[in-house]
Amino acid sequence: MKTHIKTNLYAVGSVILPAAALLIAWAAVQSSVGLTETLFRCSLLSIVLAAVGVYTSVVLARAAVEHQAACRCLELLVRTEDEVLRNSTAPAQLNGVPAASPWHVVYAQLRQRLKDHSERLSEGEMMRAGLKLKSRRFQDKLERIEQILSGLADPVVACDEYGELIVANRAAEQLLGFNVQTAQTRILRELTACTPVLELIDDAKRRRSAGQRVGEFELCDADGRKRWYRVTAVSMLAQDAETPDMGGSRVVAFFRDISVEKDIQKRNAEFVSAVSHEMKTPLAGIRAYVELLADGDADDEQTREEFLGVITGQADRLQRLVENLLNIARIEAGVVAVSKESQSLNDILEEAFHLVQPSAEAKQIELASDLSPMYLSVRVDRDLILQAAINLLSNAVKYTPSGKSVVLRSRVDGLDVWFEVEDTGVGLSEEDQHKVFEKFYRVQKDKEMAAGTGLGLPLAKHIVEDVHGGRLTVRSVADQGSTFRIQLPAAAKVSTAVGAGA
Amino acid sequence: MSYKVLLCDDEPHILRAAQIKLQRNGFDVRTAFDGEEGWRILQEWTPDVMVTDYQMPRLDGLGLIARCRADEATRSLKIIMLSAKGYELSEAEIVATYGVSKLLRKPFSPRELLSHVQELVETGALAAAAGSP
Repeated sequence: MKTHIKTNLYAVGSVILPAAALLIAWAAVQSSVGLTETLFRCSLLSIVLAAVGVYTSVVLARAAVEHQAACRCLELLVRTEDEVLRNSTAPAQLNGVPAASPWHVVYAQLRQRLKDHSERLSEGEMMRAGLKLKSRRFQDKLERIEQILSGLADPVVACDEYGELIVANRAAEQLLGFNVQTAQTRILRELTACTPVLELIDDAKRRRSAGQRVGEFELCDADGRKRWYRVTAVSMLAQDAETPDMGGSRVVAFFRDISVEKDIQKRNAEFVSAVSHEMKTPLAGIRAYVELLADGDADDEQTREEFLGVITGQADRLQRLVENLLNIARIEAGVVAVSKESQSLNDILEEAFHLVQPSAEAKQIELASDLSPMYLSVRVDRDLILQAAINLLSNAVKYTPSGKSVVLRSRVDGLDVWFEVEDTGVGLSEEDQHKVFEKFYRVQKDKEMAAGTGLGLPLAKHIVEDVHGGRLTVRSVADQGSTFRIQLPAAAKVSTAVGAGA
Repeated sequence: MSYKVLLCDDEPHILRAAQIKLQRNGFDVRTAFDGEEGWRILQEWTPDVMVTDYQMPRLDGLGLIARCRADEATRSLKIIMLSAKGYELSEAEIVATYGVSKLLRKPFSPRELLSHVQELVETGALAAAAGSP
């Protein structure tokens, strides 16, 4: 602003001074007639001064123009936006500045320099934005991996080639009882919780090629529960050549809870053991009595008959056991051929009653039948329900002392029909009332009373509940007796259900 | 005087088969259906050999043997064990831990049982004869 005023002053001066000089010169010429030489000289001086004034004002005016061009050049450069430079829409020339002005060169050079810097800046910005995006993607990926890891129900830990823990998901922390963030040490060897699996991980770590080591361990979690885990330690060789060879590789260890599998294995082993035990007992009888007969240890016909009776009885027992086993296996595997037809429940019960009656008579047990006078229509597989009814009745006869009674009863109850076998035997304890339905479980008192396979009730339960959708329940009072009841859906209801399913 | 044998088994027909075989070969035999009954008999009657099943109600074979070993009167009783158990029962372990002379696995031969019982009473008799003078 100040410069501007100065420039204007120079301009005004350059006009006023020559004007004054000319005025004085003109006055001198006008009055020279009667003037002295002195005055003439003054007018001459004035003319010279006026000439100097004119020259000065010209110089000053030119300086003002130059100044204005410089200001304009700077102003333009300052005002020029990056975008304008990039788009090359900036005026290449300085408007209002003479073409010969050196400011044009300065302006062009500065403009080019600015343009270069601006391009470099935008390149840098693009690179920065790209890196930011990449970094965000990595961050997202990392977060997702962490979420997946922490969401995994199976514990996972990873350690680097120095044996330091680098990853442990939530499940691993819970199992091993430590927190990666707050743990005093992350050296695997110093974490006591990792001791059982250390050898396996070290083994995988020592491997020079990618591979895995698998081991099964029984570990105690933070709550003190023991569970079986299959641990797979995978060694991961470093991808880059720069990583120094620390005599080992990184290892990721996955823990899979195999407690259920172990439990099944154990139960299978127990089942096979129990089956073989149950088979050996009748086999022992058969073998022993065959040998006694062969050795002539039966002196008379009656003893021989007795031995043969034992052999037959034990062979029957073995056969029953095998049949029960097969039936249970078939029902459990779902391969049993079931042919359900509407029929009278009382007919089936009467047949079962007549089949069991001889053994009740032999033991002097009063076997009574109290069947509903109504026609109880059920849609069942006749053979299977007959088997269930026989199992209940023969159990009752087996475990009721001589001279007492057993009642077979049937009733209709709303949409359901049921039948029950009530005995006056030794009764079952609260615990035994649950356990009698487990395979091969035999109540101690029962063992004293009769031989059994421990499969009759589990099989009946399968037949009633899994095959027919009914219920087999027991109620019992110690020393007074037990009542086993089978409840079945009535035929009408069953057929509706089947129709809907088909 | 005949040698005395106590038989303990919860399966009546096994008991009967062993009893017949031993009785016919001159042994004085008494039988028990479980460990408790066997122990009760041992209180009033001292057999030369006891043959016991492994699995029995109330008191099982090992429980009965443990009681015998803890009691002065039956500490050195010769015992044969019968069992329908499989691999889970080791003869070496039972012999070492309980001082059982023999583990016979079911199904067993009554003839074999007889020969083991005879062997045991004979070695017992020899030891007694050697120790008496």
